[in-house]
Amino acid sequence: MLEIIAETLRITIAVALILAGMLAIVIWVRNNTRKLSTLRLFVQIVAVVLIFLGLIIGPFGQDQWEYLGTAPKDIAIGKEIFGRPYPDGLTVPTFSCYYASGRTATCVVWQLQSYLFPDFGTSSVYSTSGVERLAIATGLLILMSIIFGRFLCGWICPFGLYMDLLTRLRKALKIKHWTLSDRTNEVLRQSRYLIIATFLILSVILGMRAIAGVELVSETELGRYLEIPFCQVCPAKPLFVLVEGALGFMDVDYMLSQTIGDFALTGWYLTSINLVILGVVTVGSFKIRRLWCRICPLGGLIAIFSRFGPFKKISLIKLTKVEEKCTKCGICKRVCPPQVTEVYDDKGGDVTVSSCILCFRCVEMCPYEGCLQVEVAGKPIYKSKNWLKEEE
Amino acid sequence: MASEIEKGTKYIPEMTQSEIDDLNKSMKTSSLKVIEDNIEKMKKSWKDRPQVMEYFDEISNLFGKRQEEIKQQKATGKKVIGYSCIFAPIEMILAADAIPVRVGSGWYDSAKLGDRIMPVEVCPVIRSTVGAKMVNLSPFLELSDAIVMPLTCDGRTKLSEMLADHKPIWRMNPPRVKDDPHTLSMWKQEIMVIKEKIEKLTGNKIDRKNLKTAIEKMQQATKAFRRLQELRKGNPVINGRDAMLVNQTSLWDDIERWTQKVNELCDELEKRLEQKEYSTYPDTPRVMLTGTPMIWPDSWKVPNLIEESNPQGVVVVDEQCSGDRILYDPVGVDEWTMSDMIDAIGERYLMACTCPCFTSEHGNEDRINWIIDRIKEYKVDGVIYYVVRGCILYAMEYQRIKNVLDKMNIPVYYLDTEYTREDVGQMKTRVEAFLEMLEARMDI
Ligand code: SF4
Ligand code: SF4
Ligand code: SF4
Ligand code: SF4
Ligand code: SF4
Repeated sequence: MLEIIAETLRITIAVALILAGMLAIVIWVRNNTRKLSTLRLFVQIVAVVLIFLGLIIGPFGQDQWEYLGTAPKDIAIGKEIFGRPYPDGLTVPTFSCYYASGRTATCVVWQLQSYLFPDFGTSSVYSTSGVERLAIATGLLILMSIIFGRFLCGWICPFGLYMDLLTRLRKALKIKHWTLSDRTNEVLRQSRYLIIATFLILSVILGMRAIAGVELVSETELGRYLEIPFCQVCPAKPLFVLVEGALGFMDVDYMLSQTIGDFALTGWYLTSINLVILGVVTVGSFKIRRLWCRICPLGGLIAIFSRFGPFKKISLIKLTKVEEKCTKCGICKRVCPPQVTEVYDDKGGDVTVSSCILCFRCVEMCPYEGCLQVEVAGKPIYKSKNWLKEEE
Repeated sequence: MASEIEKGTKYIPEMTQSEIDDLNKSMKTSSLKVIEDNIEKMKKSWKDRPQVMEYFDEISNLFGKRQEEIKQQKATGKKVIGYSCIFAPIEMILAADAIPVRVGSGWYDSAKLGDRIMPVEVCPVIRSTVGAKMVNLSPFLELSDAIVMPLTCDGRTKLSEMLADHKPIWRMNPPRVKDDPHTLSMWKQEIMVIKEKIEKLTGNKIDRKNLKTAIEKMQQATKAFRRLQELRKGNPVINGRDAMLVNQTSLWDDIERWTQKVNELCDELEKRLEQKEYSTYPDTPRVMLTGTPMIWPDSWKVPNLIEESNPQGVVVVDEQCSGDRILYDPVGVDEWTMSDMIDAIGERYLMACTCPCFTSEHGNEDRINWIIDRIKEYKVDGVIYYVVRGCILYAMEYQRIKNVLDKMNIPVYYLDTEYTREDVGQMKTRVEAFLEMLEARMDI
């Protein structure tokens, strides 16, 4: 009983905080149109804190999974959904990495992969069947994609923040950025779907461990890694695990003890491939804005459920353009972090596309009053302004 | 052999010094008179003309204070860089601490002189500029150390050759298809070439810091300009001619001082708006001008007619590179690195421009969109499409624009003219008929 009250209280506080934040955002944006980017940074930081340091709304310092360190691994929001246990917590379509311990929500990519095979591992944590968990995860993915779409990428995703910080660092150093050609970007965009398909299929196959009696992977630790193939190459994992380790929220010794083996497959918390990819993405996105987002399968997943087919119509957040106000000045194209060209090219109306992370930089920078606007459920909430007025 | 060719490149005929001096003197006198007349007329139609307008009147005197000022600054070693068209990257000129001045000329008298070396079919803007050069009439052209000439039309292309006999000419090659990524990169190279030339001439390096300052200066000017434009959207608090004059003086005035004065003017006008003190009757038909640039002072003939005829009209907005298009678009910098600033400048001058010298997959749609938007924003009652004979780019785009305006049920009048004062009487009848029609429509 007490536990339920505590849980409710925690969720209420979290929700209240988020709502208060949103309100503050709305008020602030009204007054300071040119400060949208700063606001975005602020929201991103708040989101990271909420996602990874669930500790601040949990019993901080209490050992729950003693070998992981002081952070309670499972202070997760939504451990129960519809009265059904959902031990990994709320599904969020961002890189809110499962492996970093203090999370309050869980990365949908991890959930999809691990729930895809119903007899996940030998663990007994789950009393719900895999199918049910898979349904919840997919349902939440679709729901959030419809509601927020890739706004999650622009404003919430912690890995997106990491890349934005690299960009800010580069800007501060006055180093110029590189752009990729439109064709390269297109190839990268298309490859997202290939990556999604590959890791989902792999996690089914490898999750079965054996097909028709032929063993694919043995019942070992290695097998456990391979059931969740994408996470073994994901650049976000080592980043968050290392940061949390460094901050003392995770037991580094334990982490390292789980990181063993040869080059390609070293361990649960860090593989060499993870690290190499993180290194490449770090260097790359220092010079190229939001590089990883251009191939990110999670961004692709959100796009599938918000920008295509019937979802396109019902998705809530949209970017629209008034054709006759656009002088084709090209600013929107130049300032766009993932180099979306459609906002510039398209004539008018709904110009949101799958590669757009809804960061609204273009709306902020378009110098023509009311040319670009952000619509939520058909209502414009933020429009491009004659920003010279605000620039004092 | 080579010497033969060299002779051939000289376009401008030999004239005796006394002939030059005589012509210069008479044209200058007549021009000063036109300037004075125009200002008189503006004062007469706007009883309560704000004090600060006198500043712009003073700057509008092409042979007056501003010319002296530039001469003095030139004597201290500053360079003057002329430009023939708003494609020239002003920010770069300012960054190198040089003085940018527009050198295109609109003297009717000198256009006649230009006829001596050019067929009358050629656009009078070109003939007038050449004519002015023949007798050293244009103070800003004479003061220029070099002239940036974007080759936007055939007239300007050949004009660049003619002027090259006298001044270093820096040609720029604007691509005709502007929204293609490879043409944009071509244009940026053109900008880089100009940058180097400016640096070489002035001896000042254009770096991140001074370029940023220059961009910010121009942004402030744009901000003030847009403030003035905003005031023209409601009931008229400023007559069209006065606003046009303010806008055009930005082409040769010191841009910081200009910005300050425009802000002063806006302060005054905002007050008047509050007190409902209008420059003319609120129900005056609202006219938009588009087409060939109208160059001060002689081309004021058209807005003078519109705003003095009976019934009267008021010019609330235009779509001309001599007016609202000069400063409307800001340079939008994303990151203050050298490369991004240059990209931003390049895009500002090329892509935001609606000059009819461009085309694209859908034709010069940007211009049509601009016109449609202005008509809605400024509640325009009718459009006057002004074309001088010989300006075929503007003439050829008329039909397409007319079709669009017909669909919007906005009357448009094709006003073709020459660089002459002789057709004023006949034009008056035409303009009046159009305004009468507008007024009749408004009554319904
Ligand atoms: S490794 Fe990447 S995909 Fe896997 S849970 Fe972490 S963030 Fe998500
Ligand atoms: S595309 Fe991927 S990495 Fe980028 S913000 Fe979205 S979820 Fe995060
Ligand atoms: S910044 Fe605005 S006006 Fe410029 S091209 Fe983009 S949408 Fe059009
Ligand atoms: S198109 Fe606009 S909102 Fe979308 S990613 Fe680019 S800058 Fe951000
Ligand atoms: S008025 Fe027309 S023809 Fe004349 S210079 Fe300008 S664009 Fe060329």
